[in-house]
Amino acid sequence: MTSLVADHLVLKRGGATLLDDLSLSLGATGSVAIIGPNGAGKSTLLKVLAGIEKPLSGTVRVGDRNLTSLSSTSRAQTIGFLPQYFDPHWDLTVQELVRLGAERSDHLTVDAVDKVIGTFELGGMGRRRWSTLSGGERARVLLAAVLVVDPPVLLADEPAASLDIRHRLDVIETLTRRGNDRLSVVVVHDLDLAFRFFERVIVLDRGRIVIDAPAHSLIEDRRLDTVFKVRFERLKTPDGLLLRAMRDRP
Amino acid sequence: MREPIHTWLALGLALVLAIVVGACAGHDWATPADLWRAAAGDQALRSRLLVEWRIPRVLAAALVGGLLGLGGVIFQGVFRNPLAEPYLLGSAGGAALGATVALLVPLAMPQSVLLPLLAFAGAWGATVLVIGISRVSGAVDAAGMLLAGVAVAAILGALRSFLMLALSDETVSLQIVLSWVLGGVQTPSWPVLGLLTLISAGCLGLTLLLAGRLDVLGLGETMAVAFGLNVTRFIAVAVLAGSVVVAAAVAFGGLVAFVGLAAPHIARWLVGPLHRPLLPASALVGAIVVTLADAIARAALPPAEIPLGLVTAVAGGPFFIMLLARRLRT
Repeated sequence: MTSLVADHLVLKRGGATLLDDLSLSLGATGSVAIIGPNGAGKSTLLKVLAGIEKPLSGTVRVGDRNLTSLSSTSRAQTIGFLPQYFDPHWDLTVQELVRLGAERSDHLTVDAVDKVIGTFELGGMGRRRWSTLSGGERARVLLAAVLVVDPPVLLADEPAASLDIRHRLDVIETLTRRGNDRLSVVVVHDLDLAFRFFERVIVLDRGRIVIDAPAHSLIEDRRLDTVFKVRFERLKTPDGLLLRAMRDRP
Repeated sequence: MREPIHTWLALGLALVLAIVVGACAGHDWATPADLWRAAAGDQALRSRLLVEWRIPRVLAAALVGGLLGLGGVIFQGVFRNPLAEPYLLGSAGGAALGATVALLVPLAMPQSVLLPLLAFAGAWGATVLVIGISRVSGAVDAAGMLLAGVAVAAILGALRSFLMLALSDETVSLQIVLSWVLGGVQTPSWPVLGLLTLISAGCLGLTLLLAGRLDVLGLGETMAVAFGLNVTRFIAVAVLAGSVVVAAAVAFGGLVAFVGLAAPHIARWLVGPLHRPLLPASALVGAIVVTLADAIARAALPPAEIPLGLVTAVAGGPFFIMLLARRLRT
C-alpha cells in the first residue's frame, strides 16, 4: 500500500515549461486516468512520478519517503513503469525479458516468473524472440515484465495506444483492475476509455492540472471543450454519456 | 544455460583446432607430430624454436583475440549498437599514440615495460577524454559519445602521424612503429604469456560482473532506469572496464581491426544476446579468429610476415559492410 504525492513540481526544458508548479495527491488504491492534449505534459509528469526524470524543483513522496531518498532498487520494486514505446535493442526471448523484469527484485522466486507467464497467457511462447511477436503479444510481454514484481504503484504511459480495440480493452482492463487494491495511474489517449474504465480522471493542459474529478462527473464539464479545443457533443447511451468531438466553428 | 552444451564444446574444440593449425603454420610448416615432440621436451633446435617462439606467439594471439571479443561485447552493449567497435571510442587511437611515444622517445625504461604501460595509459586517457567531452557538452547519450569518440580518434591519429614524422631518424626505424600500428602479436616470453593469461582471466571476470546490467541497459535508457539501473554511472563504469580490456588487447597485439566488431556478432548467432553467455562465447570466437588470422599473417607470404591488422581488416571490412547493408535495409 503506497500513496504517491507530488508537491509543486516544476520542469522546464529548452525554454518550454513542461510542468508548471503541479501538485497532486494519489491514494494507495484507485485507478486514475491522465488525459490532455498533445504536449500537455502527461508523459513528463508520469516520468517524474516514476523517478525517471528529475524535476527542476518540487518533490515526489512515495508512501512516507521522498522519492529521491529511495535506492534505485527499491524504487524499481515499488513503482512499475510502462513506457509508451518499448523496443529492446537486443532480440531477447519472452522468458528472458520477463526474467530481466523479475531480477530487479532481490527476493523473487522462480515461481513468480512462471506465475506471471501463466497470468498473461505467455506459456506457449517463452522461447519466442521479441521480433517475432505481434503488437498484442508484445503488450502482454511488457506488462508481464513490469508486473512480475507486483509493484504497489503502476504508472503506465498508455502502452496500448497502437493496438487494435480488443487488445486495447484487454490492457486497459488489466491496468484498471489493479486499481482495486493498488494504485494504477494511466495516461489515456482515448477519452471514451478514460471515462468508462477509470474512477478518477485528471485533465492536464500546459503543465497544469485543469480538472481533477471522478470520471462520471467530469464528462459533463465544459472545460473539457476548452482544453481540447473542440466542441464535444454529449450523446446519451444506455450506459451514460458518450463524447463526440466536433470541430468548433467560431 | 539455455544454449546447448554442445555449442560450448564446439567452440572449445574449434579453438583447440585453431591453435594446432596456428602452431603448425609458418614459413616453416610443422606437423602435429612435431608439435607433440616439442611439447614432450625434445631438445632439437626445431622443437626448441617451436616451444620458445611459435607456441607462445600462437597462445598470445588467442588471448589477444579473446580480449578483443570481450571488448567488442562491452562497447556494443554500452552503445546498444551492434555496429559499435572499441576503436570508435578513441581507445585504440590513444593506445597507438602511447605506443608510438614508447617506441620513438628515448625514456629511462626498457621498452618492453614502457610500451604496454603507455599504450594502456593512452587508451584509458582517450576514453576518459571522450566521456569528459560528452559530459561537458551535455551529450551523455550513446550517439553523442560515439561522435566524441570519432573526433578524439581523428585528433589522436593525426598526433601519432606527426610524432612518427618528427621523431623518427636513422636510430629508430619507422618500420617497427608501423608494424605495431598495423597490428601484430609480438612473441612473448613464457612469463609474459603467463601475465597476459592472468590479465585476460581478470578481464573476463571483470566484464562478467557487468553482464546483468548490460542486459538491463539493452532495454533502452527509460526502461533501464525504471528497472532500477543508474544509467549514467553504469555507462561510465562499463566504458572504463571496456577500455581496460581494449588497452590490454592493444598493448599485446597492436591495432587489430574489426575483431571487436565481428566476434560479438558471431557469438550472438550462437548463444543469443544475453550478456552472461555472450561474453565468454565472444571471447572464444575472437580467440579463434585471431589465431587463424595470425597463422595466415605468418604463413601467407614467406619469409615476410603480413601485419595481422591487415589480415583482419581485409576479412572484417566486408563483414562490416554486410552488417551495415543489412541494417540499412531494415
